[in-house]
Amino acid sequence: MSDWIIETIGLSKSYKGRYAVTDLNLRIRPGDIYGFLGPNGAGKTTTIRMLLGLIKPTLGSVQLFGKPLHKARLEILRQVGSLVEYPSYYGHLTATENLEAIRRIIDVPKSRIGEVLEIVGLAKEARRAVKGYSLGMKQRLGIASALLGQPKLLILDEPTNGLDPSGILEIRELIKSMPSKYGITVLISSHLLSEVEQMAGTVGIIRNGALVFQDSMPSLRRQAQSSISLRVSEPERALAKLKGGGLNATLAPASGFIELASCRDDEVALIVRGLMERGHDIYRVEERRKSLEDLFLQIVEGGKPS
Amino acid sequence: MPGFRRLLSSEWMKLSKSRVWLLVPVSPAIALLIGALVSFDSVSGSDRYPILLSAMGQFHAMFFLPILTGILAAFVCRYEHGSGGWKQLLSLPVSRTGVIAAKLLIIAVLLAAVQLLFAAAVYVASVIHGFAPELPWGALASAVAGSWLGCLPLAALQLGVSTLWSSFAAPLAVNVMLTLPNMLVANSEKIAPYYPWAQPALTMLRGDALDFGAFALPIESLLITVLGSFVIFLSASLVYFNRKEI
Repeated sequence: MSDWIIETIGLSKSYKGRYAVTDLNLRIRPGDIYGFLGPNGAGKTTTIRMLLGLIKPTLGSVQLFGKPLHKARLEILRQVGSLVEYPSYYGHLTATENLEAIRRIIDVPKSRIGEVLEIVGLAKEARRAVKGYSLGMKQRLGIASALLGQPKLLILDEPTNGLDPSGILEIRELIKSMPSKYGITVLISSHLLSEVEQMAGTVGIIRNGALVFQDSMPSLRRQAQSSISLRVSEPERALAKLKGGGLNATLAPASGFIELASCRDDEVALIVRGLMERGHDIYRVEERRKSLEDLFLQIVEGGKPS
Repeated sequence: MPGFRRLLSSEWMKLSKSRVWLLVPVSPAIALLIGALVSFDSVSGSDRYPILLSAMGQFHAMFFLPILTGILAAFVCRYEHGSGGWKQLLSLPVSRTGVIAAKLLIIAVLLAAVQLLFAAAVYVASVIHGFAPELPWGALASAVAGSWLGCLPLAALQLGVSTLWSSFAAPLAVNVMLTLPNMLVANSEKIAPYYPWAQPALTMLRGDALDFGAFALPIESLLITVLGSFVIFLSASLVYFNRKEI
């Protein structure tokens, strides 16, 4: 038995000699929310299709719940709920009937339909034909279908695609509650870090089919460096003084801020005291974090994080 | 096979809420209309049934059955074609062979319903013309059951094509195009038995009703060809679908 809910070993997929996914070693631990990130076309959906047995890997293997997918597919899929790309639905049926069509296959009690509709907040709309639903409602119905079989693992491919901000927020809150409320492990893919930033415990970043980062969210945060910005009177003179002291400082002409690379508390205190002693008025001292999104873009666009 | 039964009931549910039912009585109704208008002025006795069957069955078996088979094959895949439906269905704990088998069985059951209605239409026409007591039920049953069997290879083939093309209309268009030359193809006893679109007509109208070209072939060789092509088309569809990248 391995300790991972999802473990892929050297997972690769090639189409006509070109690799869409190369040597992927994903590791997802029970109870985690795993943010699977990468730009469009990086291989996220291809990977997810392999995780669900929809396509066969060219090389490598997928283990879910410690069992090889190619040997125990049906047994594994009974414990997995998924939403791949766009939610699928039968437009002429109501939400209840759509869920009933799935329920008949996976054989769970009828009462489960009402429960999942309640969870995703569609209980009031359950009797309407789905073709009249908004995109957000369809997305929620997709999540309801994924939850229907009381899965231990939820695989969601870009579940907030095409939603408006309030819809995104709603789905995010819903997913966030999965591990604590229902003990479900979640893999969620996205092309935006900001979307999973607030819920993911672990992130994996894929670029051109290869995993370039896989670690906890706090560890990613630590890598986003911070800088100090100062706004003072007579900035040119202050800049010259700071540079004379051997500090790496620059002046942003538009805003008039002097920017200093990451500084420790005592260094900042020293700098501020020095400037005041030389008669500068100090209007602002701000810490600026390089946003995670910047770091993410840097990882996605070129090589390893620094 | 509880898994298969569940799959079947799910497929049934998707279809039962649709309007595909309306297609079932269309051809039997048209056949009944034709049957009611047949004139038996110069014939009597046992010659009347073959004339009635060939009049009612030509349009039905030659055109409607193959086209309807194609429509049903496309229809049972229709909901999966739209927005990632195959992905959703096949990431549930189902076997792909089971999915094909369930869809094929649904087509077969709907076609059987059409055939039963057609038999009923022949009976009603014979009542109208006043020879219902002389209706040869055995011959009618074998014509109706035979052409139902004759639809199955085409159903397996069209189902394969419908999974191949993620489109509702394309397999239908091809199906209609290949149904149209049926009358010509049926003249050739060499080609027609192997032509899936002609098989429903051959198995319904052979012998007494029509006796030219491939209609004159013995029923045994026809059924062997039908069964053989069914096995080939079904295996091809299954092999393809099991390997398909979804």
